[in-house]
Amino acid sequence: MELSRRDFLKASAAAAAFAAAGAPLLGSNNADAAEAGIKWGKAPCRFCGTGCGVLVGVKDGKIVATKGDPAAPVNRGLNCIKGYFLSKILYGKDRLTKPLIRKGNKMVEASWDEAMTLIASKFKEAIEKHGPDSVAMYGSGQWTVFEGYAASKLFKGGIGTNNIEPNARLCMASAVTGFMTTFASDEPMGVYDDLDLGDTYFLWGANMAECHPVLFSRIIDNRLKNPAVKIIDFGTRRTRTSQMADQYIKFTPQTDLALLNAIAYVIVKEKLYDEQFIKKHVVFKKGKTNIGNGLEDKFKFTDDPKPMTFDEYKEFLSTYTPEYVEKLSGVPAAKIIELARLYADKKRKVNSLWTMGFNQHTRGTWVNNLVYNVHLLTGKICRPGENPLSLTGQPSACGTAREVGTFTHRLPADMVVTNPDHRAMAAKIWGIDPKKIPEKPTYNAVEMFRALDRGDIKVVWTQVTNPFQSLPNLNRFRKGARKGDGRFVIVSDMYPTKSTEVADVILPSASWVEKEGVFGNAERRTQQWFKMVEAPGEARSDLAQTIELAKRLGHGNLFPYKYIEKEMWEEYRQFTGGGKDLAPYEAYVKSRGLRWPVVNGKETLYRYAEGYDPYVKAGEGIKFYKNKKDDGRAVIWARPYEAAAEAPDKTYPFWLCTGRVLEHWHTGTMTGRVPELKRAYPSAVCEMHPDDAKKLGIKNLQKVKISSRRGTITLPVDLNGRGKAEKGNIFVAFFDETKLINELCIDAYCPISGEPDYKKCAVKVEKA
Amino acid sequence: MIQKSSHTGITRRRFLKNGVLIPLALAVAGGSISTLFLRRADARGFYLRPPGAVEERRFLASCIKCGKCAQACPYKSIKMAGGEAGIGIGTPHIVAREVPCYLCPDIPCAKACPSGALDKKLEDIEKITMGTAVIVDRESCLSLRGLRCEVCYRQCPLIDKAITLEPRHNQRTGVHSIMEPVIHRDKCVGCGICENACVRDQPVIVVMKSPPVQKDYYEF
Amino acid sequence: MNFKWWPIRRFVQLGIVTLIASPLFGLTIFHGNLSAGELFGINLSDPFAFLQATAASKVFIASFLASAVLVTGIYFMLGGRTFCSWVCPVYLLTEWADRLRSRFGTGGRTFSLSGVRWSFSATIIICVLTGVPLFEILSPIGITTRAVMFKAWQPLLLILSLVTIEISIARRVWCRSLCPVGGFYSFLGRISPLRVAFAHHLCTQCGECTKVCPVEEVLEPPLTTHKPQVTSGDCTRCGDCIDICPTQALGVDIWYK
Ligand code: SF4
Ligand code: SF4
Ligand code: SF4
Ligand code: SF4
Ligand code: SF4
Ligand code: SF4
Repeated sequence: MELSRRDFLKASAAAAAFAAAGAPLLGSNNADAAEAGIKWGKAPCRFCGTGCGVLVGVKDGKIVATKGDPAAPVNRGLNCIKGYFLSKILYGKDRLTKPLIRKGNKMVEASWDEAMTLIASKFKEAIEKHGPDSVAMYGSGQWTVFEGYAASKLFKGGIGTNNIEPNARLCMASAVTGFMTTFASDEPMGVYDDLDLGDTYFLWGANMAECHPVLFSRIIDNRLKNPAVKIIDFGTRRTRTSQMADQYIKFTPQTDLALLNAIAYVIVKEKLYDEQFIKKHVVFKKGKTNIGNGLEDKFKFTDDPKPMTFDEYKEFLSTYTPEYVEKLSGVPAAKIIELARLYADKKRKVNSLWTMGFNQHTRGTWVNNLVYNVHLLTGKICRPGENPLSLTGQPSACGTAREVGTFTHRLPADMVVTNPDHRAMAAKIWGIDPKKIPEKPTYNAVEMFRALDRGDIKVVWTQVTNPFQSLPNLNRFRKGARKGDGRFVIVSDMYPTKSTEVADVILPSASWVEKEGVFGNAERRTQQWFKMVEAPGEARSDLAQTIELAKRLGHGNLFPYKYIEKEMWEEYRQFTGGGKDLAPYEAYVKSRGLRWPVVNGKETLYRYAEGYDPYVKAGEGIKFYKNKKDDGRAVIWARPYEAAAEAPDKTYPFWLCTGRVLEHWHTGTMTGRVPELKRAYPSAVCEMHPDDAKKLGIKNLQKVKISSRRGTITLPVDLNGRGKAEKGNIFVAFFDETKLINELCIDAYCPISGEPDYKKCAVKVEKA
Repeated sequence: MIQKSSHTGITRRRFLKNGVLIPLALAVAGGSISTLFLRRADARGFYLRPPGAVEERRFLASCIKCGKCAQACPYKSIKMAGGEAGIGIGTPHIVAREVPCYLCPDIPCAKACPSGALDKKLEDIEKITMGTAVIVDRESCLSLRGLRCEVCYRQCPLIDKAITLEPRHNQRTGVHSIMEPVIHRDKCVGCGICENACVRDQPVIVVMKSPPVQKDYYEF
Repeated sequence: MNFKWWPIRRFVQLGIVTLIASPLFGLTIFHGNLSAGELFGINLSDPFAFLQATAASKVFIASFLASAVLVTGIYFMLGGRTFCSWVCPVYLLTEWADRLRSRFGTGGRTFSLSGVRWSFSATIIICVLTGVPLFEILSPIGITTRAVMFKAWQPLLLILSLVTIEISIARRVWCRSLCPVGGFYSFLGRISPLRVAFAHHLCTQCGECTKVCPVEEVLEPPLTTHKPQVTSGDCTRCGDCIDICPTQALGVDIWYK
C-alpha cells in the first residue's frame, strides 16, 4: 500500500509540474470568479458521447461550479441539463469512501490492504484451480483511456485471458462490427461539422433531441438557417426528436432491415446510384443468413463472407420492393420511394445518424451495414456535410472501449487477438511473450455473465458500470452472481448501485476530475483533463485499483511508470499509427481535444478523403485504405430482413422498447443523486398508445403490471408524456433502479456483434 | 348553586341582552368591513386551487374547509392553508413546488367536494384552468440561455399544447439553436408540474393567476 | 344504579375523532370533517356550513342541501345541542379545560346562553353581506378537525388561547355564548321529543346537577317551577346531570310531557 501511495504522490507531483509547464492557464478571464478564488480547469462532460467541454471551478478542494467551455468546439459553452449539474455528481450523500467486504449479509468496512489481499487471493485461487479464463474484468465506456488500457494490458498481457469486456458491448458493439465489416476500421469518417453543413438528415432509432441534446440543437439551428434542411426521423416511438423532425416515419420494429433494403432497391431500380463511385470504391459481399439470436448459452457464430457482383446484389434486392416492404413495415410504398429519392438526390447533402435503435438489435451489424450500403451506393460519404454518423452513448465508448479495444477479441487500435501479427505487435509494445496473449476470444458481455451464472467464471470485477441493472434478462444474472460456490463479484463504483448489492467486495472509486483522464467522443475527438480535486475518503481511481491488483498478482512490471498517465499514453500511442494516429500527450493538454488521426500535429476531419486524411494520396479522392483485403474499397453487404428474436403474440401482445430520457443518464447512479434532476424526472413510467390503453380500460397514470416471459414490473401508465408509443408498443426508460425494466428484456443478441436487443421483446400489460 | 342560578335571574339577563346586542352589532359591522377588506384583490397572493375550483371570490364563499378534496388526492397535492392565508385559512390549495397536480383523469378531488367550491361536474381534466404558467425570470431560464434544459416542457402533461418549443438561432455560438419554452395560456391548465420540475433553485416558470381574456376581433 | 351515560358519550366523542383521523391510517370509511364528511359513501354536511356557504356564494347546490338535510334530520330527532356534547371535539377539549378550571378555582364568569343564537344570526348576516362564510374561517371545530386530519398543528394555537380564556376568565364561554353552531342547534333542538326528564318528587334540591351542567340555566325551569322536562334547546344532552343525580330525579324521556 505504502508503495503505491508514494507512486501516486510522485505522479501527481509530476502531473502538476507538467501541467504548469505545458498547460496554459485556463478559463479565468472572469473577474468575479477570480475574485471568488475559483480556479477553472477544462474537462469533457462525464456523461454522454457528445463530449461537451466544460470548465470545472474548484475552490478549497471542492468543485463549486461547472460551466460549458466556450472554447470547446463541440458545445461552445453550452450543455444539456445533465452537464449543467456536473458539479453535483461527485457530492451525493452516499458516496462510497471505504472498501467494503461482505460478511454474510452485511457489507463491512475494511482497509484497502484487506480488500486487495482478499481480491488477489480470490484471483489466484480461481486461476490456479480453474485456469485464467475463470477470472474476468467487466469495464466500461466510462473508463478513462488509461483505466481501459491498464485493464486490457493486465488481463490479456498479464493474467493471460481474453476475459475482458466493456459495457460498450451493450451499446456500441454493433456499430463497431458494422464499421469493421464495411470499412475494416472502427469509427466514423464524418464529424459533428456535418450537422452544420448538410441539408438532409435521416435519423434511425435515435432520439437525438433527448440523448444527444447539444448535437440536436445544431441540426435544428442548421434548419433555421437553411429552410431546405430536412430532418426525417425513422422510429417505432414518437419522441421529442420526431416532434421537431420534418417527417416522422413509424415502422414495425425490426423492419428497418427491410426498409433500408427497399431504399437501396429503389435507388438501384431507378438508377439513382453513383456508378463511378461504386466502380472505384465498392465491393459487394454476402454473408451467412438465418444466423440465430444468441439465446443459447455458449452461442458461437462466424460469418462466411462471399464476394458477389453488383448484378447479384441487384438480384438480392429484388425481393425488397416497396410494396412488399410496405406490408412488412407499415411504411407506405410511395413514402419509401420518396425517401429513397431523397437519399439519392444529387443536390442534397445527406447524412444518416443512429444510435441504439440500430445497435441494440439482433441484427445490429446488418442494419449498420445496410445504412452504409445506401451511402456507398449514392457516394454520399467522406465528404463535408455528407456522411453516415454513428452516435455514441458513453463519454469514452469510442476513446476507451473501441480505440483501446477492451473487448474480448480486441487489442488496441483496430487490432484483434485472432491475428498473430497483432498479438506479436502488442506483445512487443507491452514487453511480454507473445504466447501470453491467448488467440481465442472468450465471452462477450452477455456470455460473460452467463458464464458467471453457470460457474465457468468464478471471479468477476466490474468497474464504472452497473451490469446488475443494465443487463437484459436481469433476473438470471442477479441470481447467478449470488449462487456462491466460489463465485466472487467485485464492484468498483462511486455510489451504491444495484451491482454493489450483489458484490462480495465493493471498492470506492474516484470519479471524473478526481483523477486525470482522457475520453474520446463520437467524432474521434480525444479530450484530456487533469485531476482537480481529491476523491473523498479512501476512494481511488480504477486505474490505481487495477495496478494494485497487478502488483499483487506479480504483474507489477507491466506498469513501470512514474507519471502514469503520460507514460502510458505514449506507450498506447505506439499502437495507433496508420490511420488511427494519436498525438503526444502534451497536444491534448493544450487543446480542447483533437480528432484522430492526428498526423504532424494536425487533426483529421474526414477520414478516407483526400485533402483531409493524410493517409489518402493525392489523386485518390476517396480511399478506404484500412480495408486492405478488398484493395481499399468498402463493402456493400447483401443482408436480408430476418425476424426479431421474440415478437408479440397472443399471450404477450406488446413490443417493449427501453431507452433513456434527457434528465437521466444510464442507470441513474449519478443523475439520480442530483436532486434537481431527480425532481425533474423522478421515476420510470410506461408509455403506451391511448387506444391500447382504452382497450385495456386503463386510464392515464393508472398502475399497470407489465410482464414478459422473464419478469414482471408495475408502473404507472403515461399517456400524455414526452414520448408517444405507437399502437402495440410500450416504452419504459431504464434509469430507475427501483423499477428494473431490464428484468423483462430478452438476452438475445446480434450474433456478429454480441450486442443484445433492448428494443424488442414481447410483453403483456394488465391493470395492476 | 341554586343561589347562583337565581343570581343569573331576570335582571342579569336583561342587562346582558343590552350588553350583548350592541357588541354584536359592532361585530357584524366590523367583521363585514374587515372580511371585505381582506378578500380584496388577492391581498395575500395567488393560491393555486384544486381542479374545478370556481372563481376565487365564489370559491372563498363556498368552500367549507372540510378537507375532503385534500384527502381524495392520491398524490397529496392539496394542502389546507394555514393562518397565513387570511380569510383563506383552511382552504385547499396546491403548492406546486412541493407537489403539483398530476391531473387525475377521474378528478377525485373535485368529485369529493360537497359544497360546490369545486365543480363536481368537471369531466375533462385538460379543460380546467387553475392558473397559467409564466416564465417569470427569463435571465435565469437555462433554455433561454441556449442550454438544453426544457425540463418544464418535457414534463408538461400537455406537452406541445400548453408549452411548445420555439427554436431560434443562437447568435453567440453560431451553430446551436435556443429552444425557448413558450406557454400557451389557452391550453395551460395550471397544474404546476412545470413549476415543480424546473431545475433552478427558484423556479423560473411559475403558475400564476390567469389573466382575464381580453377580447378583440382579429382572428389570428 | 350503576348505569352511566358518560362512558358511552366519551367513547362516541373519541370515536368521532378517530374517525376523522382514520384516513391518515389508510382507512376509507370516513372522509372529510364535521363541516362535511362522507361516511360509508354517504354525504353528510353540517347544515350551518351549508347555510353559510349558500348565503355567502348565493349559489344553491342541491346535493349539498341533501347532505345537510340528512344531518339536520338526525339532530332534529336527537334534539338540543346533542352535536355539541357527543360529536364536537371542541366540546371535549373545553370539557377537560373546565376540569382544570374548577381545580384552579378560576374563571367563574359566565355569559348569557342566548349569545350563541345572536352569534348564529350575525354570522348568517355577515355571510350574506360579505360573501365570506365567516364562521368557517374562525371555526375552532374546523381548526381542530383539520389538525387531526392533516396534522396541521399550528392553528391549534387559536384553540389554546380559547382554552386559556375559558380556564382563566369565563367558564365555557365559547360553547355557552359564542359558537354559532351551538346557536344553530339550540334553535333546532327545542322541538325534539328526546329530552331530559325531571321527577321533582325525587329531587332533594342538592344542586349537583347544576354544578356539572355546562349550560346550567336549562335546569332552572324544572328545578324552580317543577317542569317535568328540560325543554331548552340549549341542553347539550350530555347526560352528566343524570349521571350525577344521587336520587335519580333526572332521566331520559322519549316523548313530550
Ligand atoms: S450529457 Fe452529453 S450533451 Fe449533455 S452536456 Fe454532457 S456531453 Fe453534452
Ligand atoms: S386532479 Fe388528482 S392530483 Fe390533481 S389535485 Fe385533484 S386529485 Fe390531486
Ligand atoms: S372539498 Fe370543497 S368544501 Fe371541502 S375543503 Fe375542498 S374545496 Fe373546500
Ligand atoms: S402549468 Fe405548466 S405543466 Fe401544467 S399545463 Fe401549464 S405549462 Fe403545462
Ligand atoms: S425547467 Fe426552468 S430553467 Fe429549464 S427551461 Fe424550464 S423554466 Fe427554463
Ligand atoms: S357550542 Fe360549538 S364548539 Fe361548543 S360544542 Fe357546540 S358546536 Fe362545538
